[in-house]
Amino acid sequence: MSSLVSSSTFATEDIRRTVLDNGLVLLTKEMHTSPIVTSMIWYRVGSRNEEAGQTGKSHFLEHMLFKGTDRFKKGEIDLMTLKNGGANNAFTSHDFTAYYFNFASDRWQAALDIEADRMVNCVFDHDEFEAEKKVVIEELKTSLDSPWGLLFQELDAAAYKIHPYRNPIVGWLSDVERATAAEQQAYYRKYYQPNNATLVLVGDFETDRVVEEVRRRFGAIPTGQVQKQMPLIEPEQLGEKRITVRWRSKVPRLGIAYHAPEIAHADSYALQVLGVILAEGKASRLYQRMVEKEQSVTFVTAEYGESKDPTMFHVRSEARGEHSAAEVEEAIFNEFEAIAAHGVTKSELDRAGHQIEAHFILSRERTLDQAILLGQIETLYGLSYIDGYLQHVAAVTSDDIARVCAEYLREDNRTVATLISDGTGSAEDEDEPGGDDSEGA
Amino acid sequence: MSQGGMIVKAPEVRLRRTFDVHNRTLSNGLKILLVENPANPSVSLTVSVLTGSRYEPEEKAGLAIMVSRLLDEGTKNRNSLEIAEAIESVGGAIETDGSFERMVVSASVLKKDVDLALELAADILINPVFPPEYIEKEKARTLSEIASAKDRPQVVAGWAFNELVYGDHPLRRPSHGYPETVAKITREDLFGFHEQYFLPNNSLLSIVGDFKISEVIPRIERFFGGWQAKPLTFPAYPQPERQTGRRTKYITMTAQQLNIYLGHLGITRTNPDYYALQVLDTILGGGAGFTARIPQRLRDEMGLAYTTFASITMTAGLDPGRFIAFIGTSPENMVLATDGLLGEIRRIIDEPVTAEEFQDAKDYLTGSFVFAFESSAQIARFLVHAEVYQLGFDYVEKYPEYVEAVTIENVTRVAKKYLDVENYTLVVVGPVDEKGKLLNDGFD
Repeated sequence: MSSLVSSSTFATEDIRRTVLDNGLVLLTKEMHTSPIVTSMIWYRVGSRNEEAGQTGKSHFLEHMLFKGTDRFKKGEIDLMTLKNGGANNAFTSHDFTAYYFNFASDRWQAALDIEADRMVNCVFDHDEFEAEKKVVIEELKTSLDSPWGLLFQELDAAAYKIHPYRNPIVGWLSDVERATAAEQQAYYRKYYQPNNATLVLVGDFETDRVVEEVRRRFGAIPTGQVQKQMPLIEPEQLGEKRITVRWRSKVPRLGIAYHAPEIAHADSYALQVLGVILAEGKASRLYQRMVEKEQSVTFVTAEYGESKDPTMFHVRSEARGEHSAAEVEEAIFNEFEAIAAHGVTKSELDRAGHQIEAHFILSRERTLDQAILLGQIETLYGLSYIDGYLQHVAAVTSDDIARVCAEYLREDNRTVATLISDGTGSAEDEDEPGGDDSEGA
Repeated sequence: MSQGGMIVKAPEVRLRRTFDVHNRTLSNGLKILLVENPANPSVSLTVSVLTGSRYEPEEKAGLAIMVSRLLDEGTKNRNSLEIAEAIESVGGAIETDGSFERMVVSASVLKKDVDLALELAADILINPVFPPEYIEKEKARTLSEIASAKDRPQVVAGWAFNELVYGDHPLRRPSHGYPETVAKITREDLFGFHEQYFLPNNSLLSIVGDFKISEVIPRIERFFGGWQAKPLTFPAYPQPERQTGRRTKYITMTAQQLNIYLGHLGITRTNPDYYALQVLDTILGGGAGFTARIPQRLRDEMGLAYTTFASITMTAGLDPGRFIAFIGTSPENMVLATDGLLGEIRRIIDEPVTAEEFQDAKDYLTGSFVFAFESSAQIARFLVHAEVYQLGFDYVEKYPEYVEAVTIENVTRVAKKYLDVENYTLVVVGPVDEKGKLLNDGFD
């Protein structure tokens, strides 16, 4: 595969990695294009750390970190963000929980004050906890009202037998309902430690000054006891699994999950390239076959999910017109068999390589994009991943693609979930969008 | 904010990103806006044609969007797959999009591929052939997408809301049209719409990225110079009027939550009260995190929702947008939620906002303005807005002044003038009957 980019190290050039005595990792990268600083903190805790009956804890904790400390009362974190003309948000995933602030470059220190304080001093007031529980439950319900949210919740629950990736990140409703402030606080104490976190700053600053400011605020926080958790090893799947989800829609939707290795595995690059060849752009294989030629779907996606533990390669598609989910999956399996038998063409491989390389450059203009890239990679693997990334992608051959396709995207290794009508449904064939009184169950 | 004491005083000179905007007009009338941005080795370009669904006939609703979606499905020079392969083989992206007031072709490429991006953009804008087989494909796909979108309560609520708020105005329609109007669109309609509006004298090209202006202008001329200007006419359509009386609609859908839209007709982007209303939006339903009154009260204090907000400026365009207050909440909260939204709207109409809220909102708007100009694509979009809404290219410098000029009295005045708790539209989608009575056959 030819390479568009001469230097493979451009992404990590000028990144400084500093480790404080208490174990906190600090990544800094100066970008002076705009007078902006993004500050992010990444904790190595997510749904993979949750035990049975305790699902949703990592995500609920993310909500509680905005509920105040002794120093910053409830609402004050958002208020500081407002007064300083900034932006903040947070997200929880399988493997991590991350928080960010964007501030103008003359006031980025406010973010450090908040993060250093709430790493240790978060308050778990009973009433606040119960009030926030209602908000979390509304969030959970919003996701269940989305066909894809519901289908993928059911798909992953069936595809994994024991690994906690099987649980929704927001948690199961009954677990969230009976969560208590005291348990949540214990969970916080266990995982929110400097030696379980990575702080990332990207933007318009002087690195030496940032390192000094970070030391001043975080240096005194004692190293915590972060217990090494033995990851649950997902047993091999011994045959295809199938599930059906009945729902109010008449549009058949299809989700397929194949067990795939973790990001640190050498096959992860070939699986990423395979995902692009299959479904990225209009020239991609599945798009050409299913959207263009057979016209059986409105869209199709194929994606290797980057995770710390063995993960899934997910395919999703939505059937259209008279086409059934069975017809759609048949076409997908057929393409996988063809690739496993014959590999891919040189032009497919080159195109995918260029798409990945160009995306790497086109999607790193904003400080927040850079901070997310650095924080995620440091958390999942280590920064060295970025340095070798494009070389590894460029080294993928047609034989590699055929091999990983045969090894992972095979019948016995997959779970197929279809969302089909429960007989009610809002899609009266003749009625107008916007609805009228005939619309409904 | 007594305890924290961490508030950094707003600086005297606001930080901003500065860039020089160059503009040219080709002899065929195509306006070109350029900004050099060497920060990243890439180029973003957009070509905006100043037409959209607002000009399509009611019986052919969906025509404009269909034109935009078929532009890259074949030209006099390339078929659909050749276009896709040309751009994707260099890792670039070219997209076509349509809305009520603009049809946009946008491309992002590495800087070495700027010629390719210009050539493809010009080809699909000037020479589309609307191949018959793609028209049928696109119609079938649009119908499937409409069916799919109807599974989402918030989308259904939004459609119903627009229908009630806009009366006879084209914005009452979903931009992709209705199944029966999409079915009626012909190839002649597509060519007709294209010939009437896709003209250099009705278009704007904005290009931002790692290039030299002196080098890129001749290339633009090469690819777009042959585009022929023609006289333009636009059909008239009825102007929307603020509603009198209350309009209510309940739509039954099996769901966990109710999706509630409450509001009425809003303002155009060129309305001089836009900035006062931005301050109002920040205090009432927007801002950072959950600081605004509606999310603070309905989410943070009452726990009614994960998503709730309100805004009148968000949808302001060439045509009046909408004032929208939204909440997604469990069915049993319907009355609390609706009363809660109305109560906060009423309060901001009846009582002046506090000096602290007012100052915070202004500091937020002026301070966060810089985030809108980080990437080349963002700057390219800004250039189009600046031109279409006559903001001026010094808007980046002027914006803080516009916000600073707003007074508390202005906020109260615009609240009274533009918000209404008597004459409004309410749409509720979820487990309710058509009279608004809760059904108990939801999911749980």
